[in-house]
Amino acid sequence: MITIKKLVKRYDDRLALDHLDLSIAKGVIFGLLGPNGAGKTTLIAILNGLTDFQEGEIEIMAMPLGKNLKKIRKRCAFIPQSPAFYDNLSVIENLRFFAGIQQISGSERRDNLDYAITINRLQPLLGKRAAILSGGQKKRLNIAVGLLNKPEIIYFDEPTAGIDPETRNDILSTIRSFKDENKTVVYTSHYMAEIEQICDEVAIINQGRIVRQGQLKSMLAEENVDSVVIELVGTSPIQLEKFARKQQKTVVLDQASLMIAERNPAAIGKILTELEAEKIMVKGLRYGTTNLESLFIRLTSRENNSDV
Amino acid sequence: MFKAMLIKEFILVLRDRHALAALFIMPAVFILIMSLALKDTFNSGRALSTYAVIDEDNSDAAVRLSELLRENKGFAQQAISGSEWKHAQNHDIHFILTIPAGFSRNLEKNETGGGAALCRLDVGAEVKENILAIFKLELAMAITRLRIETIKDELAVYLPETAQEFSGMDFSPDKMVDVHFNAMTGNEKPTSTQQSVPSWIVFAMFFIVIPMSTIFINERKQNTLSRMNAMNISIPALFAGKIAPYMVINQIQVWIMIGVGMFIVPLFGAAPLTLGNSPGGLVLISLGLSLAAVGTSVLIAVTAATVEQATTIGGIINILLGALGGIMVPKFIMPLIMQKVAAVSPMSWGLEGFLDILLRGQGISAVIPESGALGGFGAGLLIIAAMRLKRSY
Repeated sequence: MITIKKLVKRYDDRLALDHLDLSIAKGVIFGLLGPNGAGKTTLIAILNGLTDFQEGEIEIMAMPLGKNLKKIRKRCAFIPQSPAFYDNLSVIENLRFFAGIQQISGSERRDNLDYAITINRLQPLLGKRAAILSGGQKKRLNIAVGLLNKPEIIYFDEPTAGIDPETRNDILSTIRSFKDENKTVVYTSHYMAEIEQICDEVAIINQGRIVRQGQLKSMLAEENVDSVVIELVGTSPIQLEKFARKQQKTVVLDQASLMIAERNPAAIGKILTELEAEKIMVKGLRYGTTNLESLFIRLTSRENNSDV
Repeated sequence: MFKAMLIKEFILVLRDRHALAALFIMPAVFILIMSLALKDTFNSGRALSTYAVIDEDNSDAAVRLSELLRENKGFAQQAISGSEWKHAQNHDIHFILTIPAGFSRNLEKNETGGGAALCRLDVGAEVKENILAIFKLELAMAITRLRIETIKDELAVYLPETAQEFSGMDFSPDKMVDVHFNAMTGNEKPTSTQQSVPSWIVFAMFFIVIPMSTIFINERKQNTLSRMNAMNISIPALFAGKIAPYMVINQIQVWIMIGVGMFIVPLFGAAPLTLGNSPGGLVLISLGLSLAAVGTSVLIAVTAATVEQATTIGGIINILLGALGGIMVPKFIMPLIMQKVAAVSPMSWGLEGFLDILLRGQGISAVIPESGALGGFGAGLLIIAAMRLKRSY
């Protein structure tokens, strides 16, 4: 469905994508996992024709991207991280506008609006101004806008950032349901629990390169590293990211927990002391049961350390 | 696609109370205020100045001089008693004309009494030089007419036939000079409404920068532009989706403001706006002006980083273009050098176009150069904006 060969993207002197190779099959929920700045968003932007690239080849639905961008875009959807619609329009006005600019009309328009509204359970909200929707409702409208052309490929750029756990689960189950429709989903996140929850295949991207790609189940089976999960309260995702970057073998698991890829009491104790110093309260501590995080830490730490 | 963009832009503008105030209420209020404030400046029936006559001669000639002066409505004669004249300033009287004892005798002798003038004029300190010069000329004219009448009376005694030749002479200015205002139709005269409406229409049209930049910058900040890009909306299509709605909004502004000039302003006592002879000319010049306003607004929206920046820069640019272009201060009262500088402002081109139709009664061909220049200016700015946007779109 998507084939990328030797893709290179430079921003001035900085290499954002470094001869990246990737292949995504039709009908899979594909997780693109990587730390901040790894190149996930750049890759998604390139696949949607929003950013150009210097070298490499991309084929989507068996069509080279450059020449067939318009054709490809008609069959794809890009769901940006932050809600990208009009706050001063109602839910239905937003949906009609985005259907209109894609020149979806007649019975197709009716069907597609029904589809987007039903999947995202927006029926009771249609007359409401988007500005007054809750964070979760905005995320649902954001997804609905992307479904108006009934896309075959959907790109999600960190769709659960900044929302409560209930809404997150809700959105994840919606995304999972696309598999039943044989849609291909490319899902970027740095929350590994989410990737484990919904994805069939995973690629770990670091410093502009794919460091590992494969079936999620087989990757997890290969990985067997002990870990500790620290659950936190009174922190923000940004603060957590900042904190994790300063630590060894530590990664943000979700918006309220960190994972450390070892069980050495001295190392864990040191991290707990530093959390206290930063006034981040610890709610609980448990042994890690997921292995994607440890694999991620191992792969990305090794890459990053080799740079130092 | 255009229909969707048109509907979206209209709904967003209609729900933005600040934009509505800037686009419709502000110019309507300006038109009303400026038409009323300048009403008397363009009213030929209103006196330039007031004066009083103190008759110390008590002669027929003095009474006749007073009558002759009253014929000119440009100066209003006010009656005051002899004891009040020293306090004339309190009565808002600018000139006190004293006709001294012996005036009639001196006039008959055609003398000025040993070098003294025939009469005395006391002038208020606030009176401008040009008003004084006009009044002195008026007074000299009245005295000359008085002298001719005196000569005619004397001739009637000794040379009746010659006196008869003088009898048909009429010295009233309207009989001597037939005034026509340049390019006005029929007996029309320029009014404050005719001057104010075009000015504030032009000014208001450029205020589309407020809703346009607010919507555009929010679209950029919220990634709606990226989303539209991913939905195959090209920059020309995006711009067309902006140009069309705002040109319609500008047309609505123009005709609402014209309606205010025709129907609301007269309710407050100022003259109603008359449309001239060329509605097509009005449409053409307003379309040209609209393209210039849209081009300016799109460039500001594309260049500015925040809504606050765009509305501040847009406001400053509008006020500068307005001040330069004769919106705030009519060009005809500017010094010559400033009138030449005014030609750099597109608002000046638009204003001249509107004045061609509304004030000078000209047709569609008169506004083709201004409309073309405005359209070219707008198109140029849109191209620059497209080039700038292309870097990030």
